[in-house]
Amino acid sequence: MSHPTAPQLLEAVRLFLKEADGALSGRLAFHAKVAANALAIVGRELAQDPDRAEAAALAPYGGASALCERLRSGLLDPEDKALLAAIRTAVLARLAVDNPRYASFSRLQDREIS
Amino acid sequence: MADDISVPEGFGKMLDPAAEEGKAALGRLIERGVGQPVTIGAVVPLSGGASSATYRVETETGCGLGPFIFQRVASAEHHGLPRGVQAVVQQRAGALGVPVAPVIALTEPADGLGDGAVTAFVPGEALAQKWLRMPEYESARAALTKQCAEALARLHAAPLSTWTDLPLSGGSGRDLLDAMFANYLRLGVDVPAFDLAFAWLKPRMPTGPATCLAHGDFRSGNFLVDGRGLAAVLDWELAHLSVPAEDLGWLCVQAWRFGQWRLPVGGFGTREALVEAYRAAGGKVALADIHVWEVFGNLKWGMSCLQLADDHVSGRVPSVERAAIGRRVSEVAADLAYLIAFGEL
Repeated sequence: MSHPTAPQLLEAVRLFLKEADGALSGRLAFHAKVAANALAIVGRELAQDPDRAEAAALAPYGGASALCERLRSGLLDPEDKALLAAIRTAVLARLAVDNPRYASFSRLQDREIS
Repeated sequence: MADDISVPEGFGKMLDPAAEEGKAALGRLIERGVGQPVTIGAVVPLSGGASSATYRVETETGCGLGPFIFQRVASAEHHGLPRGVQAVVQQRAGALGVPVAPVIALTEPADGLGDGAVTAFVPGEALAQKWLRMPEYESARAALTKQCAEALARLHAAPLSTWTDLPLSGGSGRDLLDAMFANYLRLGVDVPAFDLAFAWLKPRMPTGPATCLAHGDFRSGNFLVDGRGLAAVLDWELAHLSVPAEDLGWLCVQAWRFGQWRLPVGGFGTREALVEAYRAAGGKVALADIHVWEVFGNLKWGMSCLQLADDHVSGRVPSVERAAIGRRVSEVAADLAYLIAFGEL
C-alpha cells in the first residue's frame, strides 16, 4: 500500500529528527531530543491505549475524576490496600507509555500490594 | 559588604555583562566590593537557568583577585527572594559554618546590571549527573552524606532570631500543603496518585510554627562538589522559615537522584547515614518525619511538572520542553504510589 500508517509517519519524523540532530547544537539540539522523545510517547500511546487501561483499573471507584473527588472529600482511606492496588495498576498503564525505562516502573511492577 | 537589607526595585536597565559597557559596569561593581582596582578579562555565560543568568568573570593576571561569579535575575518569571536578601541569608549561613561562596558585592539600580550579586569563584563541579557518576568523585560521594547532614544541622541550629529581620516567608507544613493543594485545584486536572498523596499528607503534615531557616532547595543539583566533597551550597533564593525535616526530605526526592535511585539521599547516601550524621552534629529529627517530607517533596516536584505542562497547554508559554515534562507526571505518580504503599523508595 502507498498510505503510511500513523506509526509509520511517526517513524519517518523520528528518522528526520535523528538526521537533523547532527546539524543542530545547544538549545535546538536539546529540543530535538525532547521532540524525539515526545514522538516515542505518542507511538506507545497509539499502541497501548492507556486511557482504557486506567479507566478499567479505576472503574470500581467510578473512574479517575470520581476517585479524586472522593479522596478530596475524605471518603477514601489513602492507605486502603484495594485502593492502592487500583492506583498502582492505573499508574503502571500510564508510565508504560510515558517512560517505561524509569526505574520506579519495574520496581512498582515487580512488587504486589497485599 | 554591609549586612543591610534593601529590597530592590527599579532594576529596569539591563546591560549585557559580556559586552563593553556592561563589562565596565561589572568592573566598577567588583571594585566597590573588593575596595581596590580590578581589571576585568573575559565574561563567560555559564548555565542558563529559567530564572537567573550566571557568568564567570575572569580578571587580568597580576591583579591577584578573582575569578568571580556574577549572577542576576534573568526574567520577570522570577519568584524567589530578591538577590540582596538572598545574599544576606547566604552570608549568615556561611558564618554558621555552611559552605557557601563568599558574597563580594550587590548590584544597585544605578549599576545598570539588573538585580544581581558578585560572589567569589569556588572551584567545583555543579553538574550532578557528572559528580554522581565520574570515578574521580568517588571519595567526594563517600563524604557527602555526612557533609550535607552537618551543613543542615548548623543551619537549622541557628535560632529564628537570626533571620527575623529579613522578609522571609514561613509557616507550618500544613500551610505549605494547603497552598499546594489550592494550586492543584486551580490547574483543574485529576491525577489519582496526586490526590492520594494530598489525602495521605493532610493529617500528617506538622501544624506547629516554623522553628528554623530551611534552605528550601537543598538537593544534588544545587551543590558545588570538588574532590573532597561539598565545596559550596548554591541557590539560596527559596530560603524560608520551616522545620528541619523539610530540607532533609527534599534531599531524598527521587528526581535529584539522577538515576542513582538505590541511594535515596541525593543519589549518594542512605537515609540512616544521613539521620545518624545529622544527630551527631547536634540536630534533632525522626526518620518518620523525613518520610512525610519526602512524600511532600515528590508531590511538590510533581506539581512543578504539572505547572510547566500547563504553561504549554494553556498557550501561555508554548514549548516542546514544557509539553514533554508534563508526561513526567507519570514518573512522580509511580514514586508517590510506591512511597505510600511501601513506606520507602
